[in-house]
Amino acid sequence: MKINLSVALVGLSLLAVGCGQTETATTQSKTVEVDTRYAATTEPANAVPVGEARNKSEDGQDITLVGVIGGSNKPFVEGIAAFTVVDPKVPYCAAEEGCPTPWDYCCTQDQVKENVATIKIVDDSGKPITKDAREFLNVKELSTVVVTGKAKRDDQGNLTVAASKVFVRTEK
Amino acid sequence: MLLPWEYGVRNLARRPVRTALTLVALATVVMLVFVVVGFIRGLEQSLAVSGDENVVLVYSVNSEQNIENSSIAARSPSLVAASLDGTVKRFDVTHVSPELYLGTRVKTNGSAGGLGLVRGVSYAAPLVRRSVKLVEGDWPGEGEVIVGRLAAAKLGSTDEAVMVGNSVEFEGRSWQISGRFAAGGAAYESEIWCRLGDFQTATKRQDLSLVAMLLSPGSSPAEVQLFCKERTDLELRAIRETDYYASLQQHYKPVRLLAWFVVVLVSGAGIFAGLNMMYGAVAGRIREIATLQAIGFRRRAILLSLVQEGVLLAAAGSLLSGVIALTMLNGMAVRFTMGAFTLRIDSVAILIGCGVGLLLGVVGALPPAIKALRAEVATSLKAI
Repeated sequence: MKINLSVALVGLSLLAVGCGQTETATTQSKTVEVDTRYAATTEPANAVPVGEARNKSEDGQDITLVGVIGGSNKPFVEGIAAFTVVDPKVPYCAAEEGCPTPWDYCCTQDQVKENVATIKIVDDSGKPITKDAREFLNVKELSTVVVTGKAKRDDQGNLTVAASKVFVRTEK
Repeated sequence: MLLPWEYGVRNLARRPVRTALTLVALATVVMLVFVVVGFIRGLEQSLAVSGDENVVLVYSVNSEQNIENSSIAARSPSLVAASLDGTVKRFDVTHVSPELYLGTRVKTNGSAGGLGLVRGVSYAAPLVRRSVKLVEGDWPGEGEVIVGRLAAAKLGSTDEAVMVGNSVEFEGRSWQISGRFAAGGAAYESEIWCRLGDFQTATKRQDLSLVAMLLSPGSSPAEVQLFCKERTDLELRAIRETDYYASLQQHYKPVRLLAWFVVVLVSGAGIFAGLNMMYGAVAGRIREIATLQAIGFRRRAILLSLVQEGVLLAAAGSLLSGVIALTMLNGMAVRFTMGAFTLRIDSVAILIGCGVGLLLGVVGALPPAIKALRAEVATSLKAI
């Protein structure tokens, strides 16, 4: 009977451990073979933050902007090298606030609207790369990136950058 | 030397009341396992067959995973269709379905009704929702609805109440049922569909809940997702329909885990009940067991015979439950938060149910038999 009880307890413990897994796994950094065609090795100068870029840039203009990957709980587009970036001045939820996905800016959503841009990485012909950006750039949610590309604006004020190079700032 | 096979079989008939009671107890335990496993399998199957690989749902980014809470601008379908090339278009008809979807109180004839799921749709809906088939009646006209195969279960009503020609009440209006539809076990089967314009008027809403788009071969949902990311002003999100239902599977994971836990508990309780019953059965046969030992049968042979009796009873109980489950439980509609689904007594349910039944027979018989065999033969022969 003792053996049976032990087996049952081990089983229940395994069940509990299985249930306890959270989304934090997505934030774990993986070893990524960086594609040097799109990853810049040195940080471009004069990068403007996303908020400023939204105000000042024009359609078709060459632009270099800096932002933090985030803005929603899934900032990356699966299947296309694209993601959203938020102005670094917008604070995201602190770890102690108990937010499992701080990159969704749930505590400061009202500030995100005017400080967000979409980055799509394009090839030489201007077509978006049909690969997840995480697969060939060493990026993840909340990575700070400096992007060089061409701005695309619309009447609603949305800003998309067709990026040719992405520089990923190393975390402090 | 083993005891003859007939000995164990005849023993069961020698105490008919005890045997019948044990059989009923075992069959009840196995039946409970069938119900729980059938529930899990039904829920999994319903979510697995819901959704189409080629359909993308576009809905509000603020509604999290719940489409019922979504509200998007009425112009979204035309905007999305105009901005993307990947949607199926035949005879100048773009396969884009604008839909208003919400849970509301639905009253049926002769009953108070319950919370129903109503979807306001256009003629584009069946082009996109390809599993939906009208099995009776006609497509809804003005002030009419079509009801899914499991809508009555979702409403806690009877099938008769939602027959074609009857009427249902929701959103302050009476709607006549013009037809019934099936969707191959998908989640839509627990819904009521009406004309989008009528539903918008009844709910005094101009917005939509979602846009469902049928993508042409070679197109990717990622293009729709990219459009939603680019048009941040629209606050839209896109998800492949199968992924949406897979996320619901994830959402219901605790329910499924709990249900499996219930299976373990029921089986555990069943084993204890079986043990109790077998202890009683063996306790009354101590002299018989001792006599068998005295005339030369080895302990192992007697043990095997007792296990044989237990397994025979358990197999009979499992068979009985299996027949009842297959004929009466299989396909029974179950009401659930997301709608309704049918209990599914499939091969997996049968395997688990009968497995638990046979386990009850073996595990239940072993400890009391071992206990009886350990006693001294001389002492046991004097037992009353």
